[in-house]
Amino acid sequence: MTHNKIDAALFANMVITGATHLSNNADKIDALNVFPVPDGDTGTNMNLSITSGANEVKKANKDSVLEVANAFAKGLLMGARGNSGVILSQIFRGFAKGLEGKEELDIDSFVTALESGVNTAYKAVMKPVEGTILTVAKDTAHDAKEIAKQEEDIESFLEKVVQAAKKSLKRTPELLPVLKEVGVVDSGGQGLVVIYEGFLAGLKGEEVPQSHDETMDLDDLVNAEHHKLAQDYMSTDDIEFGYCTEFMVRFEDDKLSEHPYDEAKFREELSEHGDSLLVVSDDEIVKVHIHAEYPGDVFNLGQRFGSFINLKVENMREQHSKIVEPKQEKPKAKQPFGVVTVAMGTGLTELLKSLGATVVIQGGQTMNPSTQDIANAITEANAEQVIVLPNNKNIVMAAEQAAELAEVNVAVVPTKTIPQGMAAMLSYNPENSLAENQEAMAEASSHVKTGQITYAVRDTQIDGMTIENGHYMGLADGKIKVTDADQLTVIQSLLRELIDPEEDEIVTVISGQESSEEEEQAIIAFIETEFEDVEVEVHQGDQPIYSYIFSIE
Amino acid sequence: MSIELTTADGHVTITNEVIATIAGGAAIECYGIVGMASKKQLRDGIAEILRKENFSRGVIVRQEGEAVHIDMYIIVSYGTKISEVAHNVQSQVKYNLEKTLGLKISSINIYIQGVRVIQD
Repeated sequence: MTHNKIDAALFANMVITGATHLSNNADKIDALNVFPVPDGDTGTNMNLSITSGANEVKKANKDSVLEVANAFAKGLLMGARGNSGVILSQIFRGFAKGLEGKEELDIDSFVTALESGVNTAYKAVMKPVEGTILTVAKDTAHDAKEIAKQEEDIESFLEKVVQAAKKSLKRTPELLPVLKEVGVVDSGGQGLVVIYEGFLAGLKGEEVPQSHDETMDLDDLVNAEHHKLAQDYMSTDDIEFGYCTEFMVRFEDDKLSEHPYDEAKFREELSEHGDSLLVVSDDEIVKVHIHAEYPGDVFNLGQRFGSFINLKVENMREQHSKIVEPKQEKPKAKQPFGVVTVAMGTGLTELLKSLGATVVIQGGQTMNPSTQDIANAITEANAEQVIVLPNNKNIVMAAEQAAELAEVNVAVVPTKTIPQGMAAMLSYNPENSLAENQEAMAEASSHVKTGQITYAVRDTQIDGMTIENGHYMGLADGKIKVTDADQLTVIQSLLRELIDPEEDEIVTVISGQESSEEEEQAIIAFIETEFEDVEVEVHQGDQPIYSYIFSIE
Repeated sequence: MSIELTTADGHVTITNEVIATIAGGAAIECYGIVGMASKKQLRDGIAEILRKENFSRGVIVRQEGEAVHIDMYIIVSYGTKISEVAHNVQSQVKYNLEKTLGLKISSINIYIQGVRVIQD
């Protein structure tokens, strides 16, 4: 059915539906709030403001749309909260001004009212910031003028106007850098879009949906949630009045005879108890919103006039500390891939992390991590799929067990030495599947030869060699090959044993805690003279027990 | 008069002029403010709106020991909820100063020096 006029009763219904729709979405709008101060209250403020406006409309005479618009503007002005609330009150003050002498609303007067609203809103600020609710109001009014030229049916007209408002909202990040930085649309602008959507639903006589998924982008909300860490600038201790307290009292005559109700006086009394005070009353009911430190005292003041219809108390310190709680308490999104490995020494840990390891368990050789330690590290990696590199033959078993226990897909690449683990890391590619990575990493680790230098702590016989306490030992891939009282002699023999000048291209030296600059220089000099075509790289591993680890490829 | 911050690497001195300029700049972006006024207006009785280079005349930075207090003299738009506009200015200025200078402001006192009626 085509109609092109809106009467006062219908317009009142539109306004009230707009307010309801905003109330339903207030928390989502709060979540978007990053500008001008990221304190996450835009939705709350707009809701308080527009609820006050809608309440005036409910009480108003509904003989003409002008009366309704005036009542709405008055209620908005009285209940204005926050920047967004003040701007909203100005937009609709101008809107009402634009309806001078109108009993009904048609497309043309709607356009005039929207434009008048924008004019009034822009006059009350020295330096309008674009990319905000002001911009959305301006663009919408501008587009409405164009839409009016093509539409005769007021419903289709308003539908297109809402579309235009949404388009403008989408553009806000282009105008206001902080929005783009965070990746959200403007919260006040989003509020205005929601109000216009409610107007449309009210015009069609539809119920507004309880929640709103269409324009509220989940990504927006998530981004804003991250940005809320900006709210760290205000510490939870700074909250002076800790409880957001709201209640409604229905007046009772016998109580009123004892305590006559006077709104101004009541407001005065309440203001002693906190801030962010809002008192709205009519002949039957008073509604109070206040941030107070002692909600009980506030309730007692209200109860003198009648009985409670409803009560609500929220601990804002809790809410705030939730917002600014440390990042690690937030469940972070799981990464597709994680790598858990084992090493001793800060240098080695850094080295493995630089190659892409997610978690490096401190251990190996004399202190092998348990199955539980590895399982914990797999959890800590917080990934869908985890690769475990034990880097020690005595840890492979524990790693296999931890893999079976884990709730995510785990692949163990049975690396037995640090160099094998490093070689495996070099062929790790997060783009590939778990199985592909497991294969490629195992393949890579099998090509590397490992040399280790350590010393004996007692006299012993191993692998047919007699080893004296305090002597140095050289191990090739875990087997003792040389032993001598002089470390450099051991290193030289071990490297001659390991390096194949025809095949090998690079020797990586990982210096342990007990290494020295002179020794390193001697080792480099030896390799460069002995094996002319082989390159040498030295890294500080700071590992205990093994003064040097060699990786040969 | 200036604010001294001591960091591990030395001193940082922020003059009151800088604080006043940033506070004034943040204030004029606040919705509902149509101008900054001179503090002297009380004596002169002339409501003059300050130009940007003179903002500091409408922003007074006071130090009492560690605490920094700011007094701002503003002119607001007629028809707005003035108490709310003042409160918005306080939170916006406080946030901007803390964000840009890392300064904790103890109080921001707003003096409404005028209400501007804008002819439609």
